[in-house]
Amino acid sequence: MLSFIGRSVVQKTITLFFVSIVSFLIIHLAPGSPSQVDPLNPKFTPEMVERFQKEFHLDKPLYVQYIYFYRDLFTGKTVSWKDNQSALKKIWERFLNSLPLFVVGTLITWTLSFPVGIRSAIFRGGIYDRSATFISYVLISIPGFFFAYVLIIFVVTYFHVPVIGLETFGIGDAPATYLFMDRIWHLLLPSVLGATGGIAVLSRYVRSQMLEVEGQDYIRTARAKGLSPEQVHYKHALRNAMLPFVTMFGLILPGLIGGSVIIESIFSWPGMGRMAYEAILARDYPIILTVNFVSAVLVLAGTFISDLLYLVVDPRIRL
Amino acid sequence: MTVRRVLIFAPILLILVLLQSYFWVPTYEQQTKGNSARLSEYIAGSIGDASLLNPILSADSASSSINDMVFEGLIDRDEQLRFRGRLAKSWEIFEDAFFYVNPSARIPGLGKADAHTLADFIKHAQKTARIKDPALKDSLNRVTEIAVLPSRIFTVSKSFKDSNTGKEQTIEIQVAAPPRIKLVLNTVDQDLFQNLTHLLGKDYFESFHGKDYLKIDSQLSKEQWTAYTQELIPAVEHNPILLFHLRPGVKFHDGHLMGADDVRFTYEAIMNPKNLSPRISDYEPVKTVEVIDPLTVKIVYKRLYSPAIGTWAMGILPEHLLDSHALKKEATRLGKDPKTFSIRQSTFNRHPFGCGPFKFQNWKSDQYIILDRFDDYWEGPPNYQRYVYRIIPDLLTQEMEFYAGTIDSYGVQPHQVKRLKKDPRFQNFSGVAFGYTYIGYNMRRKPFDDPRVRRALGMAIDVEKIIQYVLYGQGERITGPFVKQTDYYNHTIKPLVYDPNGALKLLEAAGWKRNKAGRLEKNGKPFKFTLITNSGNDLRKAVLAIAQDAWKQIGIDVYTDVLEWSVFIQERVNKADFDALILGWQMGIEPDLYQIWHSSQTNPYQLNFVGYKNKEADDLIIKIRQEYNHNRQIEFSHRLHEIISDEQPYTFLYVGKWTAVLDKRIVIKTVDDTGVIQYEKITATKTGNYNFYFNQWIKLPQVPSFMDKG
Amino acid sequence: MNLAEKKLNTDFYIESPLPPKRTRMQEFRRLFAQNRLAILGLFIFILFFCCAVTGLFLTSGSRPIFDPAMVRLQEKLRPPLAKPNLDSLQPQEVPALGVYLMGTDDLGRDVFSRMLQGAWVSLTVGFVAVGISVLIGIFMGGIAGYFGQHHIRTDHVLFTLALILGTGLVIVNFVFIGTVLLLLCLAYIFYSLLARHGSTEKETPVLKAMLHSNAVSVDTLIMRIVDIMLCFPSFFLILTVVALLPASIYNIMIVIGLTSWMGTTRFVRAEFLSLREQDFVAAAKALGLSNFRIIFRHIMPNAIAPVLVSATIGIASAILTEAGLSFLGFGVPPPHATWGNILSNGKNFIFDAPWLTFIPGISILIVVLSFNLFGEGLRDVMNPKLKERH
Repeated sequence: MLSFIGRSVVQKTITLFFVSIVSFLIIHLAPGSPSQVDPLNPKFTPEMVERFQKEFHLDKPLYVQYIYFYRDLFTGKTVSWKDNQSALKKIWERFLNSLPLFVVGTLITWTLSFPVGIRSAIFRGGIYDRSATFISYVLISIPGFFFAYVLIIFVVTYFHVPVIGLETFGIGDAPATYLFMDRIWHLLLPSVLGATGGIAVLSRYVRSQMLEVEGQDYIRTARAKGLSPEQVHYKHALRNAMLPFVTMFGLILPGLIGGSVIIESIFSWPGMGRMAYEAILARDYPIILTVNFVSAVLVLAGTFISDLLYLVVDPRIRL
Repeated sequence: MTVRRVLIFAPILLILVLLQSYFWVPTYEQQTKGNSARLSEYIAGSIGDASLLNPILSADSASSSINDMVFEGLIDRDEQLRFRGRLAKSWEIFEDAFFYVNPSARIPGLGKADAHTLADFIKHAQKTARIKDPALKDSLNRVTEIAVLPSRIFTVSKSFKDSNTGKEQTIEIQVAAPPRIKLVLNTVDQDLFQNLTHLLGKDYFESFHGKDYLKIDSQLSKEQWTAYTQELIPAVEHNPILLFHLRPGVKFHDGHLMGADDVRFTYEAIMNPKNLSPRISDYEPVKTVEVIDPLTVKIVYKRLYSPAIGTWAMGILPEHLLDSHALKKEATRLGKDPKTFSIRQSTFNRHPFGCGPFKFQNWKSDQYIILDRFDDYWEGPPNYQRYVYRIIPDLLTQEMEFYAGTIDSYGVQPHQVKRLKKDPRFQNFSGVAFGYTYIGYNMRRKPFDDPRVRRALGMAIDVEKIIQYVLYGQGERITGPFVKQTDYYNHTIKPLVYDPNGALKLLEAAGWKRNKAGRLEKNGKPFKFTLITNSGNDLRKAVLAIAQDAWKQIGIDVYTDVLEWSVFIQERVNKADFDALILGWQMGIEPDLYQIWHSSQTNPYQLNFVGYKNKEADDLIIKIRQEYNHNRQIEFSHRLHEIISDEQPYTFLYVGKWTAVLDKRIVIKTVDDTGVIQYEKITATKTGNYNFYFNQWIKLPQVPSFMDKG
Repeated sequence: MNLAEKKLNTDFYIESPLPPKRTRMQEFRRLFAQNRLAILGLFIFILFFCCAVTGLFLTSGSRPIFDPAMVRLQEKLRPPLAKPNLDSLQPQEVPALGVYLMGTDDLGRDVFSRMLQGAWVSLTVGFVAVGISVLIGIFMGGIAGYFGQHHIRTDHVLFTLALILGTGLVIVNFVFIGTVLLLLCLAYIFYSLLARHGSTEKETPVLKAMLHSNAVSVDTLIMRIVDIMLCFPSFFLILTVVALLPASIYNIMIVIGLTSWMGTTRFVRAEFLSLREQDFVAAAKALGLSNFRIIFRHIMPNAIAPVLVSATIGIASAILTEAGLSFLGFGVPPPHATWGNILSNGKNFIFDAPWLTFIPGISILIVVLSFNLFGEGLRDVMNPKLKERH
């Protein structure tokens, strides 16, 4: 066990190192330069540009820039080029904004996919299964922003309530329950939109897992014993079908930082995705690189957790 | 079965919890009706967030619109675009002029003269009625004082980068300056020395050899010699002076009194290289900023540069919060290195204090910035309690929020104007923007070096059609580089008329004829080029398509390319690697065209990327930026406009018209001395600025009756 | 399988050594025919493909029948099925069908022609992107699966690293160190060549052993590369690269392709790992067939099924990704119309011209859906476990 952990950590650190190099190269070798050094702004004289480049170490060779950047990152000194705020602080702020969206979205995805998927599996080939399949494919296939606009326009024109942003604007002195419920309402649409794809994929996956398990001998045995179908499905089949999903909890982790650029822009949700998008537009390299790095760390941590969970829940695996 | 029940009830419960929140959310109607606080709030919608709330550091539009509310400058412009005092009550402009006595020159009627004789000679000339030349007489009349500055010897050290080795080099220069004559003028006169030559002899100033008075040990190139001579002992020198009398009793938002020291501090903060201020070039012509007394600042300039006055509209920073002492304290508090800690790192930029009408309250990145009204504002507090800047990145959602009444203003898109104008709930204002869109031709390349070709290309494009259909009528034609609503714009010049046949005739005169396939060619070479623009601007993309189509019609093969902004700028514009491009300029009110049109600015990375060169235009550009007299500036700029329009280095397309839409319930509220409250409709100023009286705006619960009359 | 069953089976084989009742193809067709959604998907897919191909012919050339770039500003934002205003149009500007079948956009371009042209472009984006990812995926997965146990020697790793580093340094203007590294590499090549030709020179065996020790297996190396690629949030990575590179349709296809091959690699590797242990591969090896032939003639046809499925679904998601990029302003640049950029341009006019949003939006939905359903059908058909039950 310990040796497994040790080996994973070493391996993941090496991977992380390569990720950091690759992302650094991608960004720095692309044409164009940061907007702060925009030479077409008449206010920027060549000397100014030079001074900015010096300030941001852009005049140094690449590997020096690389070392400087990661030195700053690990000492927490990285600042955004755009507004001089600490990159980690910025990301943390946005992370807190994205968090409720992520939590509600995940809750919706996970609670909804299981009943849908299981039912599809039980009534395989029936009308329910087919329509569920069809609907989940429609949900996967619809362009996200198109769906978002259609939903927003629908809600705004028929219900006359605001849906944009973290909360309704300008009800600052309302009682706390109102504020809380208001926030929940504002979470609804974007998290549902964010969850549609997830529900569709996950429920399909649940269905196929269930089918796989239901074909096993021990299910046949359980049936033969004369157990009620409910018992068979929910006790014997479900438990074993659940196994891979336990490990999937670890894989949710990267979703924390990914956010959805498109949904966050449409709903003017000040989350991670939008910050990253704006950083790309402004060529705010420190922010782009930090987001990339943090998300790589989360991906690796996620796979690590998922491996560990697998170890814990599946007695067949021993190290 | 519990598992089954849990599986079914969990999602139902979750969905119910989420859905029931609907009943707690106020509908739009409730929001606007039942909330009296909303009436005293103004909520502006914006696509982007501000970056730094510090007027000396940020140049983006979102930051500026907040900075304009929080900070206040010494002066600004009134309804007629003339300067008016804000923090400065009044100001004076005059000049000190200097010239070195030229011992070798012969003065008509005096011969070679020393400093004192020369001074007396000029004084005498002032008094006598003998002088015939009226210009010289005028110039002499402006002189209020003549003084002699004795000769002096001093040493300066200069460092520069060696062009061969690239190493930093420092040299010592010994200057033995001859006596100098100082003339104090009661106004600025750029022709002073020109006119004085009528008195002192034609080449009195030209024959002064500054180089003879310098002693440099090391080897220098000829250019460096000239540069140092020009810098250290120029034959003549103008020092325009701005004397600001500040308004007494103006307070910053923290209650601290604003004074002359704050003005000096703001200047020093901009010039401090540690702060990397993007405005540093605006203040480069300033020689010194002197505090005469707590309410008087004297700003001396190195040379004639009239646009410099406008730079004092820049917000004044509070010295007591940002001086080195305060910064050091902040750095230690934040645990940062005080040596590298500059204003750029200060938390001031996220919580500013100025002396503008609104004080900063709260800022949530990418959500909103809230400003509260400043009750001690020197002009009296604004009517609105609160100004909110909401960030909504998506245009469509912005529009929906506007309909819903949760924002008061947003950037209306051209195609929406027609619909919004019809809506009885809204009042609308339109005006002409300060920027124009053009097609620029690279005049270094054939055939664009021929003004006939450029004119013909312009004539082939139906600009009226572009304005009507692409801009939905939200644009006006423009004929030259000045802002259309200023006096500098020459309205006598008529725009090019759409005339493809005329264009063909012009092209034929330039040697381009149509071949059998209908394509234009000259000496067997077809007329073809590439037109480029940047991505992300739909209007330019539309113009690109239309221009391509229009030129195709007269037989020109046009390739088009839409490039990402940074590639477009760095690879194509900066390196002048293009045939023709579509771009826009955002103009200031000042008529200074030096960077965009002067022939010295045609090198890579400079803004005259089309390579426009014209001797007369160069002269006029210099004259305009040196002239402090408004009427003479107008005279020069009208002529310059004419020249540029004749040469057509750009096809000037259009200036956009903006339209702003406001709820009809927003009106101007004034209280006169007797306490009588009056409401009136918001009207735009002559220049189209509708929020000039923003501080007096207020939102009423109902649409007032005078609004319905139209 | 319990004993009794086994016995039953053997008995059965002995008694009736019949060939399978149906050929593989027939079985395939039978299963497919039962999956009506997949049939529908296939049908729409074929329809879409035909549209795209005819669209390509009808909208390209110097004087296309449907000119998607023809700007008629006076005819902007006309609703679907509107008749063109013949007075204000020149004869060549009148749309070929006599009506604006799907209306016009904000520049008066015929949406129908743009959709036709866009079909081909969207299809190309999908196919090329997936083609790239599948090629890389098969290549990497195949190597990892087939040669996985081979090890790369330490000296080779060092050599490659030095080579890359040296070239990199020369590129970033560190000519001296870079050249030294490159020269060292050259020297090493000579040395190893000499060594192979039986030089008698005595070598410190420790160093040599260290250099010749196995550093890393091919499989590990490739799977680590896959891990590295998986660390990037994919849409964010695509967005970053597309935003930083000049906008072009090729860049988008390449970037989408280069960021989505990891799944295929894993599939292919898994298939290869299990297939190479099978008897028919052992037989092929025993016959002395070349590796190349074994991989491409024997293993690949058996491993291709899951790749095909994931490719079909990959095309769908590539089309969606392109639409998402268009929404953010980084899609395929004009003059190419894609359904994604028609949609994202159109959304600004959703109140004034809803058809500009709904026509491309619903078209994308239908086509992507058809790909997904078809892919799903394929998966079902090729899944041997499901086969037994029917």
